[in-house]
Amino acid sequence: MQTIDKKVVYFPDKAIKQGFPSLFKEMVREIIRSRWLIQQFLVRDFSATYKQTILGIFWAFFVPLISTGTFIFLSSGGILDVGSLSIPYPIYAVAGTALWQFFSVGLTLSANSLVNSGSMVTRINFNRESLVISAIAQGFVPSIVQIVVLFILFACYQIMPPITVLLVPLAMIPLMLLTLGLGLILSIINGVFRDVGLGISTLLTFLMFATPILYTKPTGGIVATISQYNPLYYVVSVPRDLLITGSVNELGGFLYSSLFALVLFLICWIAFHLAETRIAERI
Amino acid sequence: MDGNLAIKVEHVSKKYCRYIRRSMGYGIQDIGLNLLGMTTKSDRLRKDEFWAVDDVSFEVHRGETIGIMGRNGSGKSTILKMLNGIFMPDKGRIEISGRVGALIEIGAGFHPMLTGKANIYINGAILGMSKQEINRKFNDIVEFAGIGNFIDTPVKNYSSGMYVRLGFAVAVHSEPDILLVDEVLSVGDREFQAKCYRKMHELKKKNDVSIVLISHNEYTMREFTERCIVMNQGKVIYSNASEDAISFYINKTIREREAAAQTDKYISKKDIIRDVTFSDRTGKKTDKIPTGGKLVIDFYYESERKIKKPIFGITFYNSSGLFAGFYNSYENVVLPDIQGKGRVRVSIDPFDFPVDTYSAGVGISEEEESNTLEWGAVAQQLIIERPNNTRGLLKLKQTWEVIPK
Repeated sequence: MQTIDKKVVYFPDKAIKQGFPSLFKEMVREIIRSRWLIQQFLVRDFSATYKQTILGIFWAFFVPLISTGTFIFLSSGGILDVGSLSIPYPIYAVAGTALWQFFSVGLTLSANSLVNSGSMVTRINFNRESLVISAIAQGFVPSIVQIVVLFILFACYQIMPPITVLLVPLAMIPLMLLTLGLGLILSIINGVFRDVGLGISTLLTFLMFATPILYTKPTGGIVATISQYNPLYYVVSVPRDLLITGSVNELGGFLYSSLFALVLFLICWIAFHLAETRIAERI
Repeated sequence: MDGNLAIKVEHVSKKYCRYIRRSMGYGIQDIGLNLLGMTTKSDRLRKDEFWAVDDVSFEVHRGETIGIMGRNGSGKSTILKMLNGIFMPDKGRIEISGRVGALIEIGAGFHPMLTGKANIYINGAILGMSKQEINRKFNDIVEFAGIGNFIDTPVKNYSSGMYVRLGFAVAVHSEPDILLVDEVLSVGDREFQAKCYRKMHELKKKNDVSIVLISHNEYTMREFTERCIVMNQGKVIYSNASEDAISFYINKTIREREAAAQTDKYISKKDIIRDVTFSDRTGKKTDKIPTGGKLVIDFYYESERKIKKPIFGITFYNSSGLFAGFYNSYENVVLPDIQGKGRVRVSIDPFDFPVDTYSAGVGISEEEESNTLEWGAVAQQLIIERPNNTRGLLKLKQTWEVIPK
């Protein structure tokens, strides 16, 4: 007879009664164990998205390009005042959307991830964070495509990209944590109130205009005031600056925002873990 | 926990809320309390809540198979989901030792656009299998599912049978120590169902797998489980060896069906056939006959007027409501005219009905079969039992011999 090493106990309020250290250890262990599952979800959703399309993977290029193109059109037409820039606006806009797309695509997909897999969530015991994480990871697709476009633009304008480009993956960690934290909590709330899934794209459009990403931060006025306290602005603009100019102006804001993102992520992750079994009975 | 136990369920309860909006509100409230580090008062009912599972306890040993029977909404699936850890009980405690495989949702995470092959990997990953494990068992899975060349076809082009087969194939190859099965096999065709049960039998014998099975099919339960639990409105109302539990369940459902269907006409003292009794080989009145045994049926009649060349008949329906047989005197003999009180007796030997619980309807016609005077249901059930030394549904007369060349 085989030896049984795995023994589990279920009881009311288990997550709380087992104590925080044990809970946290369990959370980390589950994520590590689920690496392959996350990868499978990612491959599944990625290939399924582009399977029945004529243009296939090219869609990953078109969608961000069209949105960037719209901004380039608006600014060159003088409809949008983007402020004074040291580099050509297309480079500025493509770099900004590269980071913004990661946030917006990742958040939209992750907010709907649990609800879209409702039958699975209610009937199978698997690591549900995996669904959210793989959704966030899908946000990298348009982001990477945009960065490829960015380098093509650098070549066209015959501008040498700054060496700080190499720091971008590191500088994106706070943005990832922020997206993941919000994605985890929104996916849970969406399980209870479907309003989240319906309202998310409208909210993201508003956020994109409220955050100085496709235009420079004004020196005064309401946008400047909001941006000063908007962690999203710092965690997007710093990697963006590293990508195009190499000079970072608001390091203090970035560090505070990074700390904020980390704390938000931890709180949301714990909330997700505490809530997931209650959501599974209600979704 | 005793080392020989796979599952231990102690006084487990689970509450649900009747209305979705209120249920969401309670959900938020409970999550909020947990976030603040507080426990919820889960053992108390709030407004519009009810116990979907109420104080249930049972144990399952290694290599043992138990069945859970009960009508829809009796709490069976809720128990299975708690055993699987999908949600926590509101009262009590569940201990599980071993890897749990659940056949609650077949083909979970299947993406219709992707091929069977890609879906095997995704489904396997969801069920907790590693890449190496799936690689190793890939051929077995494909072979078991019997989908052959379709492995590289998107699963949206699969028939529903193929879909289920592939899903089941992945699940049984995840090497569980404990297998939870929720009525999922009813989708596949008979041949595949049989294959699944053989596989489950193999798992049980070879690997000492414990199985918890939910099914409405008493044949499945009879063949497959050693013990059964009967549930009603969240409570365990009966728990015993399968044969007894199945009889209990069937009698209970039939009683309920009778209560519900008041419109059914039963024979009574006002009719010509006033009563019908069953007796066994010894002449003793009984409602239990072993399969292949002798059945004696007595029709007690009373009629003031003379009935010419009466024809007595009886119909049997099995527990699924299937028409099992119709027997009348017309096919065999012309009965003399009857008047006043008396009885007509028919003996059937051997009565080769399969093991099951049957309900009967009786009727009387005059001279012609089509000239029916009355027809009514018999309140008493006829239970065909399995004789001790018999396996399966029938006892067949056999002759074995050696024929040397």
